[in-house]
Amino acid sequence: MKCICLVCQNIDCKSRGSEEIMKELEKQVGEKDLKDVEVKSYMCFGACQEGPNIVLYPQKSWYAGVKKEDVNDIVAHLSGGPDVKRLDKIDSSLKDLIYQLLDTGVF
Amino acid sequence: MDGIIFPSGVVASKQGLKEYLAHGGYGALEKALKGSPEAVLKEVSDSGLRGHGGAGFPTGKKMAITAECTEQPHYVVLNGGEDEPGSKKDRLLMENAPHLVLEGVILAAYAVQAPKAYLYINQNYKAATESMLGAMAEAKKADYWGEKVLGSKFNLEILHQPAPPNYVAGEDTAALEVLEGKEPKPREKPPFPATAGLSGKPTAVNNVETLANLPQIVTKGAQWYRGFGTADSPGTMIFSLNEDVERPGIYELPFGVPLRTLLEECGGGIKGQKSLKAIQPGGPSSAFLLPEKLDLPLDHQSVREAGSSIGCGVVRFLTDGQCIVEETLKIAEFFSRESCDQCPACRMETNMLVTILKKVQQGGGQEALLDQLSKVIAFNKGKGFCNLINMPGPPIESAFKLFPDDFQAHLTTGRCPTA
Repeated sequence: MKCICLVCQNIDCKSRGSEEIMKELEKQVGEKDLKDVEVKSYMCFGACQEGPNIVLYPQKSWYAGVKKEDVNDIVAHLSGGPDVKRLDKIDSSLKDLIYQLLDTGVF
Repeated sequence: MDGIIFPSGVVASKQGLKEYLAHGGYGALEKALKGSPEAVLKEVSDSGLRGHGGAGFPTGKKMAITAECTEQPHYVVLNGGEDEPGSKKDRLLMENAPHLVLEGVILAAYAVQAPKAYLYINQNYKAATESMLGAMAEAKKADYWGEKVLGSKFNLEILHQPAPPNYVAGEDTAALEVLEGKEPKPREKPPFPATAGLSGKPTAVNNVETLANLPQIVTKGAQWYRGFGTADSPGTMIFSLNEDVERPGIYELPFGVPLRTLLEECGGGIKGQKSLKAIQPGGPSSAFLLPEKLDLPLDHQSVREAGSSIGCGVVRFLTDGQCIVEETLKIAEFFSRESCDQCPACRMETNMLVTILKKVQQGGGQEALLDQLSKVIAFNKGKGFCNLINMPGPPIESAFKLFPDDFQAHLTTGRCPTA
């Protein structure tokens, strides 16, 4: 299934290294030749204190507090591996709001 | 129509010290100094004067909180950081009636027993700054401020501080940050400035128009002041009208005068005799009203009961040719641009609202997109340090509620049905 890997690039996430994480994601997705995966920047998920934030859509997996060393596991998930449960820490009400926005095409 | 600040209700001409004195200027200060600071506070409280910067908080109550603090020193800040789109009342007041504003500052400082007051003025307001600085020099020479004001025991130093020209810099705690040499970013409240403001000391931060009311209140008394306006909103308000009417300008009217009077008698009606589509009675953060509300009395309570707010008195009239979706998008873009980026929720909300509204405006979006506006607003309500996070809600939600067909048409076709 096609997957969009949305990486927040707002101020807080950027200050915690989200640009570097996005580059690493693009690199590993390219190396593994994951043609169904598109890595894309996102304006803000509203969980800045928990950043950097990454949301996989339409799978609806939200990874928070991501570090560069977590990218291997996220790419493994994108390749059909298991969810990275340790990075799943966002409150369900915020998840619902953001997933509804994504469902209505707010990218 | 008689005004309190402008006797004829409109700006006449610039009043230097000579003209001001000829009209009884600084008489209020002389009277105040013969009595106690408490007497000034009581007069202001009894007058029912409310803040004219937007929130409408009772001024006497705010000043009394500062006055009663045992922590010393106390400060007064004249908030002339006006940067609301379409608002020009504070600028024109400072330009044309600088001594009236200055006497208000001095009276406020006496009332809260502050030895120091700051004139915080939008740095783009060159003429207003020049006018205030000129008045400061004249008044100092005439002994209206400085050591032992008019021979009394009251000492007052007045300083000028340019305000960064952006919307958030006009927020009271952001003003305090600037006065402390920092970026104009609002502080988390409480504590409020009245108890812990500049350098943590009790500080009375008041809008320009608010303080300009003080001289007349002190001279003529609270009961005289209450002869203007309504029981809930005594006194007058200076309304700003812009290019959507035949005669743009600022007009001082007693609270409670119908919107229609402001539009027709003051503004000369809608420009080009177009038909009215909606009214936004209190600046970009106020909810839209339908033309049937044109006889609504302009006072805090009546406008609130009608579902909107009077804000700082910038009244907009939208006409049939204007697209409500595009106007709403412009408002959302304004708040997104002016968010200081300090609070994550505000950043997310203002960005998200712009993205959603752009999608609606351009058309081709899903039906459920429209429901997301109120969800984003509700989710973020009250989550910021300042009120900016709550500001896009009323105009966006009222526009959608009053003109659902316009939003629907945009979503489907990408065009406005009325354009």
